[in-house]
This record gives sequence, structure tokens and C-alpha cells, in this order.
Amino acid sequence: EERAPKLERLFTHPLYNFQSPNLGEEGVLLQPEELMSHYRRKVSRWERHQRYYNEAAAASNISLLRHEVTFDPEASWLKFHLGINRYALYARDEPSIDQLLQDMHSAAIIGADYTQDEKALRGVCDCSQVVKPSGHHLKLALKLQDFGKAMFKPMRQAREQETPEDFFYFVDLQRHNAEIAAFHLDRILDFRRVPPVAGRLINVTKEILYTTHNEELKSVFFTSPANNTCFFAKCLYMCKTEYAVCGSPDALEGSMSAYLPSLSIAPRLAIPNPWTRSYTFTGKEEWEVNPFFCDSIKQLYPYNSGNRLLNIIDMAIFDFLIGNMDRHHYEIFTKFGDDSLLLHIDNARGFGKHSHDEMSILAPLTQCCIIKRSTLQRLRLLSEDDYRLSDVMRESLGRDALLSILTEPHLQALDRRLRRILQAVRTCIRKLGETQVVAVDFVESHGGTV
Amino acid sequence: MKMILFRKFRVLILMVFLIACTMHIMIDLLPKLERRAAGPSAGNSACSCSHRPSEEPQSWGKQRLRPGAESGWPNKHTLRILQDFSNEPSSNLTSHSLEKITGPGDKTETFKRLEQYARNEESKKHFIQNTGAESEPVQGSSRLSSLFEQPLYKIPLPPLTDEDTLFNVNTDIRFNPKAAEDQEWQNEGHKEEFSPTGESSVDTYPNWLRFHIGINRYELYARHSPVMDALLNDLVTQRITSVAMKSGGTQLKLIMTFQNYGQALFKPMKQTREQETPPDFFYFSDFERHNAEIAAFHLDRILDFRRVPPVAGRLVNMTKEIRDVTRDKKLWKTFFISPANNICFYGECSYYCSTEHALCGKPDQIEGSLAAFLPDLALAKRKTWRNPWRRSYHKRKKAEWEVDPDYCEEVKQTPPYDSGTRLLDIMDMTIFDFLMGNMDRHHYETFEKFGNDTFIIHLDNGRGFGKYSHDEASILVPLSQCCRVKKSTHLRLQLLAREEFKLSTLMAESLLRDRLTPVLIQPHLEAMDRRLRLVLKVLSDCIEKEGYTAVVEDDLEGGSTHTAPRDR
Repeated sequence: EERAPKLERLFTHPLYNFQSPNLGEEGVLLQPEELMSHYRRKVSRWERHQRYYNEAAAASNISLLRHEVTFDPEASWLKFHLGINRYALYARDEPSIDQLLQDMHSAAIIGADYTQDEKALRGVCDCSQVVKPSGHHLKLALKLQDFGKAMFKPMRQAREQETPEDFFYFVDLQRHNAEIAAFHLDRILDFRRVPPVAGRLINVTKEILYTTHNEELKSVFFTSPANNTCFFAKCLYMCKTEYAVCGSPDALEGSMSAYLPSLSIAPRLAIPNPWTRSYTFTGKEEWEVNPFFCDSIKQLYPYNSGNRLLNIIDMAIFDFLIGNMDRHHYEIFTKFGDDSLLLHIDNARGFGKHSHDEMSILAPLTQCCIIKRSTLQRLRLLSEDDYRLSDVMRESLGRDALLSILTEPHLQALDRRLRRILQAVRTCIRKLGETQVVAVDFVESHGGTV
Repeated sequence: MKMILFRKFRVLILMVFLIACTMHIMIDLLPKLERRAAGPSAGNSACSCSHRPSEEPQSWGKQRLRPGAESGWPNKHTLRILQDFSNEPSSNLTSHSLEKITGPGDKTETFKRLEQYARNEESKKHFIQNTGAESEPVQGSSRLSSLFEQPLYKIPLPPLTDEDTLFNVNTDIRFNPKAAEDQEWQNEGHKEEFSPTGESSVDTYPNWLRFHIGINRYELYARHSPVMDALLNDLVTQRITSVAMKSGGTQLKLIMTFQNYGQALFKPMKQTREQETPPDFFYFSDFERHNAEIAAFHLDRILDFRRVPPVAGRLVNMTKEIRDVTRDKKLWKTFFISPANNICFYGECSYYCSTEHALCGKPDQIEGSLAAFLPDLALAKRKTWRNPWRRSYHKRKKAEWEVDPDYCEEVKQTPPYDSGTRLLDIMDMTIFDFLMGNMDRHHYETFEKFGNDTFIIHLDNGRGFGKYSHDEASILVPLSQCCRVKKSTHLRLQLLAREEFKLSTLMAESLLRDRLTPVLIQPHLEAMDRRLRLVLKVLSDCIEKEGYTAVVEDDLEGGSTHTAPRDR
């Protein structure tokens, strides 16, 4: 075909080009001055620590790797943080996002550490716990040269592997490719609620072991019988639920997910998902047995007003497309209050089974029978041959440095699941009528129609 | 007035306090009383011994909290808690360590169990000698049977005395006339095919007991003993009456008790036949494979070692044969139904006992290996020896033998390796382990009664057959360092390298007899041929370097001269 790539055409489509509402001071998450002074404080603290480490190393005759740290007011992650607003994490045409993806893929790594939620669990390994807290999973916080931070999740599963049929959603592995693919899908759906994620090939020894000052992290590194460098998540390894991840011999694939602004300057709230699962072997939640569950939710604050319920349904659609059953909580920025966007963080349990569509994830949509008009229009567009979801996803994922993020069956499954969503909406419309089901959301009032 | 009121009040408080105390004590005692009451009423008394372990499920977490609180626990067990990938796996040091923890009460129970069968004193002695000697040759014209027709496989044992048999029935197994009147036990027995009637003879003993009685100084079982085939058959057909989790050891194993009171160790299937151990796994974090246990028994028999207790594969119904017959709450609690509607459980152990490693049936059938129990430790004590060529069980440390090329010289001077056949037995074990690729031989066991002049038992072979594409040369180090081998072993290895008796073909044929056939996939079988050639190469290098007589120890004089002419 001579025509422009589908992805490019999609993003030039009128549905993706209406004017965003005027934001004003209150619509933006961070004030530049505030963020800059925070950044400066961090850099000076880092330099202080670095001096201390260097002195200690010199005293014991160890040569440390020196990292050039640059204070860069033009850093891509700064622009990303400054661009976060009430409606989305980033603007459609924001060039700094591509730059941020590029930086996460190739910028030098100057520090590695455990993430905060793992540190918070310090030392507590309860092997009898069936559902492991998120801090147990193997992930690291990596610091880039320009002080941007990214969460690294290593590759745990081959692309072709599916989640075994006997696995419950809460014991499934974390997949780095799911993190990457979820970001691209979120952008294609024009939700823009997933922080940017890029794939990266890490040198485990040089970029993690040699850059970390955390003794505990250093202690989990070892060389395998096949002479590969490996490290492990302490609790999961101690409880013998997971083995280590190994480079070959040093190189390890993983996903780099950009950090959101620090909680100290942009606090967030984690709210339980009304359609959460029981996280037990046998228990069922109310929504699984009560078909009128949504009627009671609609009466409850904060779902009884504003866009919150519609946002939950957007999230359900997103999770259904990736097959993520593990959405127990969602986060919002406290600054924006109830009208804030829902952050779709931690999507590593998506894309586990391409041969199975978990219809229960769609329960919010099928039970509430309500959907944003803008979302529905985009979903319809993506089901057309000219903008087919699997094709635009394939193109979009092609931009990542890691090759074939998703296997073909997973891409095909996206099309199939999209058809099922549209089918569910049709069923609702037949039952309740279009005006009841299709909600004219705020974005629509400003934008053009097709 | 005030005074009296005050006193009354004090008395009242005191009373309330006393009542509270008594209540507290009562509440504490109640479960214990209940348990005691439940004991005899639940099922027959003869069987209760086999359930005992299940009543003391071993929780590592709890043990840590009260180390040594239970009197029966040796310190070793508490040490095991500390073990992890980087530490000492003193763990499956005895594969039947549960027997070690049975208290004195259980000891009498186990005696009783044997006594119940030990009725006819006359026949016993006769029976032992019967099994000790050669039985009728195997029929058919298969390669396996023609292998067993070879003179090398007809070398008789030296004559056995009372000191050479594990059980001297007259003295060791005391006859208890009351046992015969044990109605409950008899009734239970009558329901099934074997009937312990008054005129019981050897044939009416359950096969597991005949196996135990047949153990002698030189072998676990006789070459063509019909008891073995019957016992293997029992393992797959006998009704399972109770299941308990095995304590100690690192990975999940279940102790199954059969309707004829025999017991076996069940290792469930954890990996598919095609899966190989990932290259980054250490030998001590490898999975235990049920098919390795089965194949090890067959390999050991083909090598004519007869040092592995009989193992058979069985398809077990997890609902009816595990969940519904276990009294172990901890085990029972881990059963769940998977999203794919299969029955799963994960048990409690230190390695891979979590939901992530749950064992799932399809929907409720699970494969596993059943290894016959050796005689109870209360009746036949075993000695546990540290393998001189034990690995470090540490991610970074090396063992002494890995750095010292003259290590064997040291071992040769240390008792018990300085005399008898012990060093040669270690060489046999080394060859056996190399053929399977088992790197996890940290300890071995012998029967205490036989002292130092006896064979070594090859227990715990679940970590063999993990990689078919890799030959772990370090397993052969004892052989290349010591350069010693038994003549009989050497000749048999040469025989098994010949085209008409190719090891892989014989193994394939032997494994066909198991219910879970194919037990090994073809690449594993072929790997054994390749490894056998490597063993022979090491031996021929040794012979070239040190001379035939220095390397090959003639263990055939006497035996061979008698049989060889007859067989030709």
C-alpha cells in the first residue's frame, strides 16, 4: 500500500485532534518553580552522598565508577512532569515524551536501588502469604544521568509463554513486555493515563551491581553455573517461589517505566477498585454474584457524580483489552480531587493469555451499561480496517527498541476483544437505548465530531 | 461495716480471678483431651501408628518459634530451617527421616505391626534363605531377560549367616500371640485379598514385609525375586488408606499407607518429561523429578547393584486418594480448585511449596512415583555417611575435592574407606550418579547391623535426569581421582556398551513395565549411552596410567569360578 502508515493516519484523524479544554493554573499538576527547586535539592544531596562514597572508597582503596551528573533544566522527565494535567499525563503532540522514551532506553544509569514499596517491607518475608504484596516482586528503581528515574522490571517469561491455565490472577508472573505494550495501547486509545514505558537491554553487572550503594541489593547478585550474572527478589527467592533472573551473561531485557512526580510534591491517593477480586482461591466478590451491583455503586460517593464511573469503565475496557485481572486499586492525584484522571499504573500482569478473553474484567461496562462517547467513537474507529487496532499496535510497538514486544496471537486477540467490547455496548444500547448508554463526556463538548 | 464490705469485695475479686484461671486452664486442656478422645475411636488401633505423623504436621515457621520444644526433634531438624539455596542441605539426608522422629510409642507400634505378621516361626528362616538364593529365571526372549541370562548376572552371593540378614526373625521379631486375636486388624485384613489366618505361611505375608525380610548384607533384594514384581504391583494397585506430609527434606513428599499396612514415599510430578533443568539453576535448587526416581530404580537393577528400594509410577486421584484420606490439616488446607477447574494443592515444605508451584491434576489425576519404604528405623537402624565428594552447597564456595587433585589419597587412608569394599562402593555410586546426572549425592546410608562391610543404599535419586544435553563431568571426579573399580562393575559396564545389550535399549525395555511409560524421553536414554562411554574412557585412561591390577579390583574370585563353567 502506498498510503501513510496506519498509526500516523490514526493520530491525524479528527477524533485525535480536537482542542483540549483550557486548563489554567489549577489544571496543571506542578508549578515549574516548585519542581525546579525540588530537583536542585535532589542533585545537591546526590553530590553530597557521592563525595561521601568516594571518600569511603578511597579510604579502603576501591576505585568507584564515576558518573557524570548533569543538572539539566531541559530534561525530558522534567517536561513530562510539568505537562501532567487534570485530563491526561501528557499532551498528544508533546515531543518530550518521545525524548523521554529515548532517554530511558539509552541514557547512562547512575544509580540503582530497591523501590519504595519493597523497602517499606524491609525484612518481612511471610512465605505463607498466598497473595504476595507488590513489594515482593523483582523491580528496581534506576536513576538516569539527567536524574530522571525509571522503574525497571526484568524479563521473566519468554514471549511465547502463556500463563499456565491453573494460575490464579494473583500468582501470575510480571511481564516486562506487558508494561511496554500497555503504554502503547493506552496512547492509541488516547487515554494517556499510563506513564511512558520503554524497553531496554541492561548490563546487569555494570548498570546495576556497580552503580548501587545498597548493600542488600549487592548481596543478591551471584554467578550461575552457566556463568551468567543473576540476581533475585529476596523474599520470593527465600520462599522458593521464584528463581533468580539471569543475564546472558550480563545482558538482561526489561521495561523502563518513567516515575511520576515524587509523592512529596504531588501526593496521590490509592482507591480500591469497586470491581476488585477476592484474592482468595474460593471467595467471590459481590459484583461477581449480583448483576445489579452497579446500581448500588451508582448511588455511592464518588461514583454518583462527575466522570468517576465513566473513568472506571474506561479502565475496565483497557484492562479487558490487555487481559489484566489484577486491578485491585487505582490511583488519582489528590490535587485534582474527584475529577482527576485515573492512573493506569502497573500493567505487568496483562498479556498473559492470548487464547482466552476474561469477560469478567468487562463487568463494569456490562453491569453499568454506560460508556463515554469519545471512548466509544475511538473504539469504533479502531475496529475499522483502515485503523485496525492490531495494525496500529504493531506499528506503534515497532518504535520500541526491543523487538516484537507482543507475539502475533496477542495482537490478534486485541481485535477480537475489541469486537467483544463493541458487542457488549450494542447489547446495552438495545436494552436501554443510546441516550442512556452513551454519555456525552466533557471532552466531547469541546471537540469536533466525525 | 465498711470493713466487711471491703472484705467481701476482696473475696469476690479473688473468686472471680480463680474462676477465670480455671476456665483458662480448661480451655487450654480441652483440645488435648479432645484429641486424646478422638485417637482410639477413630479407626483401628493397628493403623493409628501410620497416622501419627499427620498429627504433627511440621511447620517450619512454628518450629523456629519454639526450637527443641518437642522432645523427639533432633537438632538437625532445626538446623534445616536455616538452609536455603546458599546453605547446607543437610535436608534430605535420610529420605525417610520421618521414621527418625517417631517416639518410643511409635516404636512399639511398629513392632506390633511386624509382630502381627510374624506368626509362623518355622517358615521364616526358610523363607529368608529362599529369597536369598536364586529364583527361577525370567521367561521370554527379550533383551532384558537375555541380559539377566548372562553369567555376569548369575554370580551368587556368599552363603548367608544370621549376621548377614537384616532380620533374624527368631530373635528380632518377637512373636506376640495376642496380635493374632486382634479382631479389628483381622477384620480389616479379611476384606482384602490377603488373609492372615492361623496357618499363615510366607506367602500370606504382604509383599512389603517379604521385601524387608529379604534384605541382607549384600543386596536390598534378590535378582529375580518374585516378591519385587509383586511389590511393584502393590505400589500401583493397593488402596491408599492414609496420607501424610513427610517432614524434613526440602521438597514436597507424601507418605502413603496402603491397606496392607505397607508404606511408600510419594513424589508428585513437577515437570513435564521434555523440560530440562534451566542452565542457571544450581544442583541444589533443581526440582525433584518423579520419573527420575522410577528410572533410577530400573537403572540400578540393570547395573545389578540392587541398592535402590523399589519404585513404581502411579496415577493418583488427588481427591479420593489424597485429600479425602489425609488427616493432615496443613496438607488438606492447601487444596484448591484452579481457574481451569483442576484440583490443585501445594502442601508445606521449604522448597517450591507455594501457590506458584501448586501441583494440579487434570482434573484430579496426578502422576507420581511411589518408593517402597525401607524397614522402620526402630527395627533396622541405618547409618548416615557424609559423601567425601560432597559439593559445597554454596553459590560461591568450592569443596576441597574440587581444588585438590590428590584428594582421593587422603580419603583412601581414612576409615572406613581404607579397608573393605567401601571405596569401591562409592565408585559404583559415582558411576550410577553420573549416568543419571545426579549432582545431589551429599550423603549415603548403610544398615547399621552390617557394620562397614555392606552395600550402600542409593536413596533420593529425584534430581537425576534433569539435563539430557549436558554431561556433568564433575560427578565422575571420584572415579578419575581414585582410579579404582570393581571388576564385576567394569565387566557389566563393558557389556552394556555392546550393541546387543545397549544400555538405552535395555532401559527403554525395563521402563516399559511401568504404568507411567514412557518414563524417560529418548534423549535421556541416549545420553546414558554417551555417558557410559565416558565412564569407560575414564577407566581405560586409569588402566593405561596405573595398570590393570591397580585399577580393577577382582571381586569375582570364588563366585565367578563356580558359576561360570555351569553357565557356559
